[in-house]
Amino acid sequence: MGEYSLLIILFAPFLGAIALIFIPRQEELMVRMTAAISAGISLLASFYIFFAYDPIKGGFQFVQRFAWSEELGIAFYVGVDGIGGPLVFASAILLFAGIFVSWHIKDRTKEFYIFLLILAAATIGVFMSLDLFFLYFFYEMSVLPMYLLLGVWGSHTKGYLSMTDPEGLKLRDSVDFIFNFGSNSKEYAAMKLVLFLSAGAVMALMGILLIYHMSGLHTFDILVLREQAKFTDTMSTLIWLLIFFGFASIAPIWPLHSWSPVGHAAAPAATSMLHAGVLMKLGHFSIIRVGFEILPEATRDLMWIAAVLCIGSIIYGGLVSYFAKDTKYIIGYSSSSHMGYIFLGMASLSYISLSGAVIYMFAHALATSMLFAMAGWVYDQTHSRDIPSLGGLSEKMPFIAGAFIVGCMASIGMPGTINFVAEIMIIVGSWDKYPLQVVVAVLGIVLTMAYMFKMMRGLFYGKLDPEFAHTADAKNWIDRMPLILLIACSIILGIFPGHFYDVVSSTVEPMIDRINQVAPLVTQNSQGLLP
Amino acid sequence: MQFNLSLTAADLILLMPEIFLTIWLCVILALDFSLKRITHQQLAYLSIAGLGITALMLFIFDQNGTTGALFKDMYVLDHMAILFKIIIVGATALVLFMSIDYVEEFRFFKGEYYFMVLMSAIGMMFMASSNDLLSVFVTLEFSTFGFYVLVAYLRNDQRSSEAGLKFFILGVFAAGLLAYGISLVYGETGTLVFSEMAGTEGSYGLAIGFILIFAALGFKIGAVPFHAWIPDTYQGAPTPVTAFLSLAPKAAALAILLRMFFVALASFKPMWVLLFVVASIFSMTYGNVVAIAQKNIKRLLAYSGIAQIGNIMIGLAAGTKQGSDAIMFYLLTYMFANLGAFAVVIAVSKAIKSDEIEDYNGLNRRSPFLAAAMLIFLLSLAGVPPLAGFIGKIYLFIAAMNQELYTLLIVGLINIVISMYYYLIVVKKMYINEPTDSSPIQTSLPIKVAVYAGIAGTLLLGIYPGPFIDWAVDATLMFSNIAGPTASLPAIPGG
Repeated sequence: MGEYSLLIILFAPFLGAIALIFIPRQEELMVRMTAAISAGISLLASFYIFFAYDPIKGGFQFVQRFAWSEELGIAFYVGVDGIGGPLVFASAILLFAGIFVSWHIKDRTKEFYIFLLILAAATIGVFMSLDLFFLYFFYEMSVLPMYLLLGVWGSHTKGYLSMTDPEGLKLRDSVDFIFNFGSNSKEYAAMKLVLFLSAGAVMALMGILLIYHMSGLHTFDILVLREQAKFTDTMSTLIWLLIFFGFASIAPIWPLHSWSPVGHAAAPAATSMLHAGVLMKLGHFSIIRVGFEILPEATRDLMWIAAVLCIGSIIYGGLVSYFAKDTKYIIGYSSSSHMGYIFLGMASLSYISLSGAVIYMFAHALATSMLFAMAGWVYDQTHSRDIPSLGGLSEKMPFIAGAFIVGCMASIGMPGTINFVAEIMIIVGSWDKYPLQVVVAVLGIVLTMAYMFKMMRGLFYGKLDPEFAHTADAKNWIDRMPLILLIACSIILGIFPGHFYDVVSSTVEPMIDRINQVAPLVTQNSQGLLP
Repeated sequence: MQFNLSLTAADLILLMPEIFLTIWLCVILALDFSLKRITHQQLAYLSIAGLGITALMLFIFDQNGTTGALFKDMYVLDHMAILFKIIIVGATALVLFMSIDYVEEFRFFKGEYYFMVLMSAIGMMFMASSNDLLSVFVTLEFSTFGFYVLVAYLRNDQRSSEAGLKFFILGVFAAGLLAYGISLVYGETGTLVFSEMAGTEGSYGLAIGFILIFAALGFKIGAVPFHAWIPDTYQGAPTPVTAFLSLAPKAAALAILLRMFFVALASFKPMWVLLFVVASIFSMTYGNVVAIAQKNIKRLLAYSGIAQIGNIMIGLAAGTKQGSDAIMFYLLTYMFANLGAFAVVIAVSKAIKSDEIEDYNGLNRRSPFLAAAMLIFLLSLAGVPPLAGFIGKIYLFIAAMNQELYTLLIVGLINIVISMYYYLIVVKKMYINEPTDSSPIQTSLPIKVAVYAGIAGTLLLGIYPGPFIDWAVDATLMFSNIAGPTASLPAIPGG
């Protein structure tokens, strides 16, 4: 089954979604179990590829290729390298955890799980695509379920809900109101997210089509393109910019980030987890897969753009998080601030920093999804995300409080968690090239510490409002399991990062060599991977 | 010019689908008149059976390569014509499935409705085969005839009568333009057959003639600036007729446009490429931007149809074999998505007696099936993977990219984002808003068939388009060596 594991990872959630269509909606337990089983299969298979990936051999492994349209030069071509593999693993973990986190959703459970499974499967599809067409196909496919997940099962912000006077009620349900930037209803968040991401996607699509045509190869095969595609300088700069800003809008790089915290805040817990955990990494991943692989020269010349913009991400995101009052906003902005670290790691183009960036993607996925899961729990219990009105919840929910502290620590990058490994690698690896940004990044860590502690104190310590006396802790194994899973992965990999690092560096080192023109590309053919 | 109208048996074979359908049509009319007990449902299923046999015949022709030309090349049956005819027949069958419920509400002339639909279908099948300006005129008018009646079929509904009148007046005007254009072209070239025109000298008379013909066909496909009739007619006409109007005449007119520009005018390519680029940019942008403001689902689909025609014209603007393949593939995807969407509109309006988008609130709670189907169709129209419309759009964009039409591409891509907005507004109403009346909506069997066919086609073409792309590629082998630009307009005297 080894060689088919990628297909299993990808199609288990899809088939689960199809199976759900035929399950009657009254059978809620069966709906949940089906979703959980299909995600479980996916998780097991991705666990296998994560550990079975051979770092000595390197390159793309578990490759599967099926002709799809000869006419257009498209093949269904999947495989993972040291970057895609861990991210596929992260997506599968998050999907599995997300299904259990949303176990208590009552409204239209069936549709919720269908869209959640499609979202996760599409994300997984991007991480394993070796064909530009399918990379875009899955990328675009992951955007739309977000609209419904946010719009239907999401939650409004406080300002929106406070409009209860007749005039306000009429206003807040009108379409025009969606364009009102002060409002932040869930519909607004969902629409903003889709339009931003679609705009980014079509930009990237223009770049992809230019690669397709200008390379003269008329193929979407990434492996062929990275070996044979040659562009003029102007053209490769243009394509690189389209690809970079197109995909960076989902990453989201400052100043294209504004859809993201709004989206996080409106989304239900499981969706925020997948959104912050893996959906945002689609951006970094696609920049690496398309920009770094196919346009190495332009990457070397232009990656300073990311290094400049990441300052904005880190500082702006951090400051907004510090002053925000809404838990999900804080976590959302902290995510967008932490994305700056990944861009810094990518921009430095050294072995250590890029490996660090990849590991950070994984680490951030675990840490931030823990926080979202618990913010979701707190919201479900108290129906509030407003920190000033909360407080003292540790009395009522000690387990959640404990896990939340671990999540905050992981987010800050405490030694022992995988985030620490990643942060150190980015900081050390970037020092030579971008000392200023490293200083900013370290300040960013201090800032992270400040707002995380502030949030912890605001939520769990201080005086308990009697209004929240009825709130309950996560007592069932179903509620605790996803958190324990995420924490365990974060800590185990944090203490034993050896294999993970080997896997990542086996891919990163030849890539960096090629970008810095130290060594030419070692083709897959010479490794005997392709017939 | 002399016509040789004597037909051999082998020639008759080429006309078999049309001849069969004509006989079938007469049988249906005769049955309707003679048998008092026959219900209109039975007539509908009979018509669908006839269309099924016709489609089967066309399919066998396609497989066996039964092709040829008749009447001095006035009528050709090549693979492209067969594919267009299959699209037309398929669309007609789907429309009949959706009509069954709707016709129930008519007070009289229930049987004649099917007769009219089939008659228009035959006219459009001839259109797909016409290879000569004269047959273009005759078949175009023949097919429009049925529509004039169909659009105004709801006699007691003012909107329907208004729609019929608008359609008629503008249609007749377009016919006048067409006739004038044909006479100019004939005067300049001395021939009416497309293939004989290839390689003629350029002249202003010819250019004006073809622009007039383009205007007439642009009226048919509803391209900007010939779109003015579309919203009112779509809104007023009985919904199944709107569905029919939104697809079949466009397919037939596109067959003519392809033959006219890719064969007869191949040597003037740079000029008509510009024409199509401009028409495409305006159609896409106008259709999508105006659709945002619509409150009625039929009007929304009308404007979205204008935008879709803009998309299709990207393929015409590419002016290559790949462009024509992309058009045919896109038409297939458009058929399933658009007709499916109209089927849902019919099902919903039967239950709630309204076509306002506002009344789609909470459709997901009232009928999860219809809401999910509408979601799939709208997203396919918007071009979201893994649905058919996505592949269709990418195919068109690839064709345009290979011709380096950057402006067109950029506008097309921006339009995807714009269109996403108004399709999602409908999705928002269906899924996010709460219904005012939460009684469940029942769907009758024939509508379900149409909706399921739409879903199946949309998913199949989106997930496994390979065979269909190959089919389109094989259908247009005749365009594989479009002549390069050889002719040009003479310099303006003294200019």
